[in-house]
Amino acid sequence: MKIIYHLIVLLLIMNLIWYLFREKQFWTQVSIAIVLIMFFLRLFLIK
Amino acid sequence: MKEKIKKHHLIALCLLCLTGTLCWLTGVQFLSMRKTDTFYPSPGLSAQTKLSDYFPQLADSPGDTAVYCFRGEEEGGNLLILGGTHPNEPAGFITAVLLLENITVSRGKIFIIPQANLSGFTHDDPFEGNPQKFSLETPGGRRWFRFGSRLTNPTHQWPDPTLFTNAAGQALSGAEVRNLNRSYPGKEKGHLTEQIAFGIMELIKKEEIDLSLDLHEAAPEYPVVNAIVFHENSAELAAIASMELQMEDIDIRMEASPPSLRGLSHREWGDHTPSMAILLETANASHGRLKGKPSEALIVEGKDPNYVKASKLGMLFVPYSKDGIPIKERVARHLAAVNALVSGLRELNPDQAIDIGNFPPAQTVNEQGIGLYLHPPK
Repeated sequence: MKIIYHLIVLLLIMNLIWYLFREKQFWTQVSIAIVLIMFFLRLFLIK
Repeated sequence: MKEKIKKHHLIALCLLCLTGTLCWLTGVQFLSMRKTDTFYPSPGLSAQTKLSDYFPQLADSPGDTAVYCFRGEEEGGNLLILGGTHPNEPAGFITAVLLLENITVSRGKIFIIPQANLSGFTHDDPFEGNPQKFSLETPGGRRWFRFGSRLTNPTHQWPDPTLFTNAAGQALSGAEVRNLNRSYPGKEKGHLTEQIAFGIMELIKKEEIDLSLDLHEAAPEYPVVNAIVFHENSAELAAIASMELQMEDIDIRMEASPPSLRGLSHREWGDHTPSMAILLETANASHGRLKGKPSEALIVEGKDPNYVKASKLGMLFVPYSKDGIPIKERVARHLAAVNALVSGLRELNPDQAIDIGNFPPAQTVNEQGIGLYLHPPK
């Protein structure tokens, strides 16, 4: 169960990083980066 | 075109580095709450065990909390004192710490669990803006304590169901699945919080506890505050203790545990074990919904102008002035109640008498502060 959760979060992180590099508008990139912070903390189960 | 692509890639890389830095900074802060508190038990301590000694499935889990045992040389009653059921109610937790760092027992046995929901101490409530720690001054320096969450850490127990039906059959909102004081009598193969509750029930049964006390705090606008909440099996004891407290000018109300409110310590301990079950509540402004900015000062000094206004409007169930309700007063109230209940137990049943030495006097704690009775930090 836990590993599935980690895999889902990891997949979403990869997706966000992909969009971070594809995105050309600066403020959209910033928004993606902010969302990434929460996903990274989730990945490492830090709360 | 080529240059434009390089530019946004470079920005992405910088933002990724910034993200990593912010994750590290916030991660360090969050993880600081996993650092355990240090306690300095009194020389009268007989044994320090773990809850897993009573329920082995808890071993090495985030719920395996310390149990401090004080055994007297003479046979007498057995008492359990629980603090930290809700780690955001610090007076209960600090009262338990104060007792374990001071008392000696010459008759009977006392078991103290200062951090009943240890997992709840490893995080704090989202959106509350509470400080992660608070400190108390001792003659030898400042001691820090964690200010946790009412609920078990979701990284230790997840996901929450939409609706939680506890082991006693009460249907509650999903997040309550992580509330220790809604999880009694617990389940052997349940969630972590239910297992902690089960472990505590096992301790009560195996050690043949005569009187079990659960120390809490509540918001000043909550009707059950400055109260002894008692199971029907301890009504007489609660009445004796209440009278003794009233004689000491400590106003305390008696609240009968409602038989239909299931899963709480004062209900399930009494229903499932022969132990007399009592829960004590003091008034904590930092716990309330009317509070202003949460801060360490609010936890320790208990002063909040919003509550002064609420008091003038008659919205509170306790007197509240601009001096607030400091933690020393709340802890003193718990100490006085514990003392009154122990002496009431002796009065009711002399075979269950418990003789405690070096009991921190409530009046001195209230007048001179908690720090006087706390071990200085090493």
